[in-house]
Amino acid sequence: MRADEPKRYWKSLAEREGGAAYSERAAAEFDETPFAAGPLGSRRSFLQAAGFSFAGALLAGCRRAPVEKAAPWLEQPEEIIAGRSYYYTSTCGACPAGCGLLVKTRDGRPIKLEGNPDHPLSRGGLCAVGQASILGLYDSLRPKQPLLRGRAVSWQEADREVLKALAEARRSGGAVRYLSGTLTSPSRLRMIRQLLSGLPDGRHVTYDTLPAAAVLDAHERTHGVRALPHYRFDRANVVASFDADFLGTWLSPVEFTAGYSQLRKPLEQSPQMSYHVQFEARLSLTGSKADRRIRIAPEELPWYLAQLCARLEVKAQRSSGARLESLPILDDVAERLWQARGRSLVVCGAEHLDAQLLANYANELLGNYGTTLDLRRPSLQRQARPGDFAELLDEIATGRIAVLFLDGVNPVYDLPDGEQLARRLRKLPLVVSLAERLDESAEAAAVVCPDQHYLECWGDAEPVRGLFGVQQPLIPPLRGRAALESLAIWAGAPKSAADIVRETWEREIFPRCKAKEESFERFWERVLHEGWVEAEIEHPGSAFNPAPAQAALHRVTKTAAAGLTLVAYPKIALLDGRHAYNPWLQELPDPITKATWDNYACLAPATARKLGLTDGDVVRLEAGPERAVELPVLVQPGQHDNVVAVALGYGGHLTRRFANLGPRWLGWRPSVNAGGCVGENIAPLLERDGGSLRWTRSGVRLVPTGKRHALAVTQDHHTLTVPPRLAAADRGRRPIIEETTLEAFRKDPRAGAQGHPPPAEDLWPRDHTFPGHRWMMVVDLTACTGCSACVIACQVENNVPAVGKDEVRRKREMHWIRIDRYYSGPLGDVDVAFQPMMCQHCEHAPCETVCPVLATVHSSEGLNQQIYNRCIGTRYCENNCPYKVRRFNWFDYARDDRLANMVLNPDVTVRSRGVMEKCTFCVQRIQEARLEARRRGEPLRDGEVQTACQQSCPAQAIVFGDANDPASKVSQLLKSGRAYRVLEEINVRPSVTYLRLVRNRREAEEEERHG
Amino acid sequence: MAEPVLLAPEPLIAGGKRPGQVTSEILATTERRASPLWWAGFLVAFGALAAGIAAVAYLFSTGVGTWGLNNTVGWAFDITNFVFWIGIGHAGTLISAILYLFRQRWRTSVNRSAEAMTIFAVICAGIFPVIHLGRPWLAYWIFPYPNTRGPLWINFRSPLAWDAFAITTYFLISLTFWYLGMIPDLATLRDHTPSRFRRRLYAFFSLGWDGSFRTWLRYETVYMLLAGLATPLVVSVHTIVSWDFATSVIPGWHTTIFPPYFVAGAIFSGMAMVLTLVIVARKVMRLEDYITARHIDAMCKFLLLTSGIVGLAYATEFLTAFYSENRYEQFVFLNRALGPYAWGYWIMVVANVLIPQLLWFRRLRRNAAAVFAISILINVGMWFERFIIIVTSLHRDYLPANWTMYRPTLIEVGTLVGSFGLFFTCFLLFCRFLPVISMSEVKGAIQFGRTRPGAPAPEESPLPAEVHP
Repeated sequence: MRADEPKRYWKSLAEREGGAAYSERAAAEFDETPFAAGPLGSRRSFLQAAGFSFAGALLAGCRRAPVEKAAPWLEQPEEIIAGRSYYYTSTCGACPAGCGLLVKTRDGRPIKLEGNPDHPLSRGGLCAVGQASILGLYDSLRPKQPLLRGRAVSWQEADREVLKALAEARRSGGAVRYLSGTLTSPSRLRMIRQLLSGLPDGRHVTYDTLPAAAVLDAHERTHGVRALPHYRFDRANVVASFDADFLGTWLSPVEFTAGYSQLRKPLEQSPQMSYHVQFEARLSLTGSKADRRIRIAPEELPWYLAQLCARLEVKAQRSSGARLESLPILDDVAERLWQARGRSLVVCGAEHLDAQLLANYANELLGNYGTTLDLRRPSLQRQARPGDFAELLDEIATGRIAVLFLDGVNPVYDLPDGEQLARRLRKLPLVVSLAERLDESAEAAAVVCPDQHYLECWGDAEPVRGLFGVQQPLIPPLRGRAALESLAIWAGAPKSAADIVRETWEREIFPRCKAKEESFERFWERVLHEGWVEAEIEHPGSAFNPAPAQAALHRVTKTAAAGLTLVAYPKIALLDGRHAYNPWLQELPDPITKATWDNYACLAPATARKLGLTDGDVVRLEAGPERAVELPVLVQPGQHDNVVAVALGYGGHLTRRFANLGPRWLGWRPSVNAGGCVGENIAPLLERDGGSLRWTRSGVRLVPTGKRHALAVTQDHHTLTVPPRLAAADRGRRPIIEETTLEAFRKDPRAGAQGHPPPAEDLWPRDHTFPGHRWMMVVDLTACTGCSACVIACQVENNVPAVGKDEVRRKREMHWIRIDRYYSGPLGDVDVAFQPMMCQHCEHAPCETVCPVLATVHSSEGLNQQIYNRCIGTRYCENNCPYKVRRFNWFDYARDDRLANMVLNPDVTVRSRGVMEKCTFCVQRIQEARLEARRRGEPLRDGEVQTACQQSCPAQAIVFGDANDPASKVSQLLKSGRAYRVLEEINVRPSVTYLRLVRNRREAEEEERHG
Repeated sequence: MAEPVLLAPEPLIAGGKRPGQVTSEILATTERRASPLWWAGFLVAFGALAAGIAAVAYLFSTGVGTWGLNNTVGWAFDITNFVFWIGIGHAGTLISAILYLFRQRWRTSVNRSAEAMTIFAVICAGIFPVIHLGRPWLAYWIFPYPNTRGPLWINFRSPLAWDAFAITTYFLISLTFWYLGMIPDLATLRDHTPSRFRRRLYAFFSLGWDGSFRTWLRYETVYMLLAGLATPLVVSVHTIVSWDFATSVIPGWHTTIFPPYFVAGAIFSGMAMVLTLVIVARKVMRLEDYITARHIDAMCKFLLLTSGIVGLAYATEFLTAFYSENRYEQFVFLNRALGPYAWGYWIMVVANVLIPQLLWFRRLRRNAAAVFAISILINVGMWFERFIIIVTSLHRDYLPANWTMYRPTLIEVGTLVGSFGLFFTCFLLFCRFLPVISMSEVKGAIQFGRTRPGAPAPEESPLPAEVHP
């Protein structure tokens, strides 16, 4: 080594031996001059690239960034995770039936109501009205503040006004009246009592728009208790219903449907089902499900009941000598009832005392009290005494009232002389309305103190004696003030609604419950968790007194009315009009007529032919001088010839909000009539008899006006047979709905099969294998009552918009599930079949092959998926769908009500204009259940995925599940002899299987009917 | 004594034209000022086009809901118009390609305008598949190309994707064919026009044509090859359009007869449209010597043939429906003939099958006014054919609950009117600025039939008789 050479250190042998080649390599390993001319270009090109990216970034940044107002939890509440759904129990407040709820909330807002499966009444179902009531919570037209003579004022000012008037009444002994519908809430009743007790002349008056006073009065006479029995359809093997629409609108339809359909699911191993005969004037939903339906005029009803009682008397050997007339049908009904005594039920929906007395008598003769009619735990709905109300109306007329409270009632709208009543109300010293919305009566009230929606305040309910349900607030109040709090303030003891409800429960309910918990706190926790509780009741025994019923039996004669009789009926969804503000319910097709957004005069085909009227002809219905309403005609098969039936609940001021509904364009027409409201109010045609309204009126005149009105009907063709002159080979019914009789089903579970089976072997290999789950649905047509709860449930779950009358008229309703309704048999005496129809998720889906952009594809679990982002809107899929279940976004449907948008399900995309959509089998629910199962580390169990339609179905007619799991309920049902698929012969292989419709009839009877 | 049988062919061009005369007469329309009649026609057509543009603008701004479609009937006027215009386009290719290959010399007088008609009709047709989309701004998604959307490929099983290919191919080939055939004429225009601007324009588009023997040779070769290429398109385009329906599962659509039926129908309607246009054009532009009764007669024979095929197809559809024992299929056809749209069906049968039978009479075939009336009726009938196929199959299909009716809105009618406006606007501009008759080809045909006794002798004959261009 040379001395002048610096000492060389080496790190490895390679370095020592490698020389220049090594050091070159080593230097290149960590090249620190990246911008030297090399693979990355020169410094110059770097600056060019940097300049370009900077300019690009600048340009990209010139766009207005979306404004995002995210409000993070300052302190995250325990157990609340954003984006997860939580379910709280509550009690439905949409009608007094008090069904149990599970309210699904997301991020602090309720977005969907589901039935509480553990609730003893509703058993998991929820009706269309209940489902839709959530929209009422987000109704931006509910008043926020109290109104004093039309002016928005503060709560203090409104309270001052009320308190002043109350103090004056207390001093001068002025009359204070509290008018409400039947209230089942113990807390509310307690507060009303508290308010009125301090007053010298305070009284609580109830009146029901849908009354059951005749039932109450009849029981008072025959049983000595003024009670409405709790009907137990789940125990009734034979049901004879006289004009009681118990599956549709009468008392507690969800509970009744659940019980009724439980006995109407014939299985191969036990081919049993209940027998149901319906006597009615118009075709009701209940009548459409009856095994035997007899058209009678409303005037004949008591006589038919009398004849039935006379027959039962003979069978019970207790004959009181009533004359028997030859009526083979009644012989048969009486025999069937008698065979099933103790397990049969005679119900009567007519507000006719004699008829109700006779119904009681029939049930007594059959020994049904205590089994199918429960008087021990009676229903607490519809308890009003018409006499009280009549008295109140007189007091109003004479102006002898100091303060009148109106709570949840709208007499100005309901009564035939409503306008006169409004004038009188305006003259009273003080009328205080607690309406949630500004209806006709609230408009006539001096002070409006808006109540809250049942989802934003505390409350409770006792729909059946001893069965208590709790309502809990699920969102900070959006509008108004809880009526309980208003009442407490006016009673002079301000308290929060929460305290009031707790107090009621602690003092009145807890002691009666014999709860296992020691402390009220623990009990209250359980109640909130379960949503309901059953209390002990004391029951004074009641003995049957046959005398009034027998008197009625001899009194009733066969009467026939001359001319047409008007029958006013509550319609599914709209009921008495209390939910008329709700666009979903307005747009829900009536299960029978399939009409939306209107009421109309239903006429029997024979009557319409006689009068030369067809659908859409406008007629003037006249009932006395200056009492006329113009309505379009709708020809209704199955209706009695002497009847003109019109739905209640239309033409109210609450529907004025729909004046601008729907996509606006050149061809747009409003959803409201010339009068500014949806439909027409028929109250002017009705008769008030004291405190009760008569829903039938004989001798109405019908005058054609020559005008036309286009009804918004979702189904134009009503049978499964094609028009006769177009039927060369297509004679008979198309095998879309298969049906059979119970007798045939007993002999052969496959009886009634019509369609061709698809080819067993395919020439091609299977398009899809389903290695994991295979989602399938089974719909039982025997159980389905057509109640349409599923339609609304789907609408809420899947953010389906309401599009307005004009769009429905153009056949562009957006519902993902619809209920097809088909008539068969003779026109006057039709059979009805319902078929829920949604995307069939075909294995060989015709829609999938024709989409040019792959916007609809098949999943590995058997779902036919629609990808909105990819869709360009060719509509070929819609054309090629044999079931026509796809829905196209013809317009951008308005979503500009920000409050109403809070009801949207965040798991489901809101679709924009120009894309196709359809039923997804609630893929978001599948996903949610799957994630939950994965989180638990367990496989997905059968029944954990429930589609929205299935969940809400009161009849449990829809079953969804994994067909790859042999133990699942769906797999079991697929093996049923009743199973068939619609249009199986075109080999699209739908994933929805229907269970054949079975009617409890004899084969011979069926052949006779259909020739 | 019987008259001697005339074996010599009838002349194709009347008036004993000389080539120079041909040039000046045909170019006259492009060089003289537009006639008031042209202006009137142009204003009407442009007005209709403006109405159509307004209708489409409204459609784009508001949504497909402005049409009368519904949940059951997803296509109606839109696809009817599309198939109608595509059909119109067919005669052009047929005349220019197939008749060329078959050496039908009479085509020389009409091929240029028929080809122009094809181009404009395909443009009209191409508009409808785009505007009928729910989201027309995404129409390009139908083409497969590497993209940043996934990349999202298209569904090659969908006939709509084939449609896009078929129509674009057809349009490009037709356009090339038209342009190529026009090059010699453009060169003539270049040499003829006094305007400097136009000269440069024509010079650019005539691609340096010098009329040399070599140029002509190459030109003829390319023209023949293109004719060979275009020939299958005459069959394929409408076959593919028919698959839009035939591959579906909808009774009335799902049928194997559609491809030949549609192709025959397309030629039928296209010939009718050529006749409509040509009869007007020869009158207005004084071209009776070039487009003679003989031409009209020849095209009428085509109408007669294709009308027969179409009529046979109508009958066959009923037979297959009857024979199929398929209740849905049978119903659809009875519903067509007797249902709520029966009026449309019978318009179709009368206009497409019955009225063309008048053309068996030679005198009617040579009566321009009568043929004009018949051609208009056939156009109407063929529009209704497509309407009936589309709407009656959809409006009452499998589930009676879905049955509904379709009524067009004003916006849809405006769109249809607008498509006619576009078509005639383009055609009138074409008549004004380009030679409506292929001068170079006609010059080759002027000698045709001149040997026939009694035929007018040319004043001077620079070309020997029977020269193939």
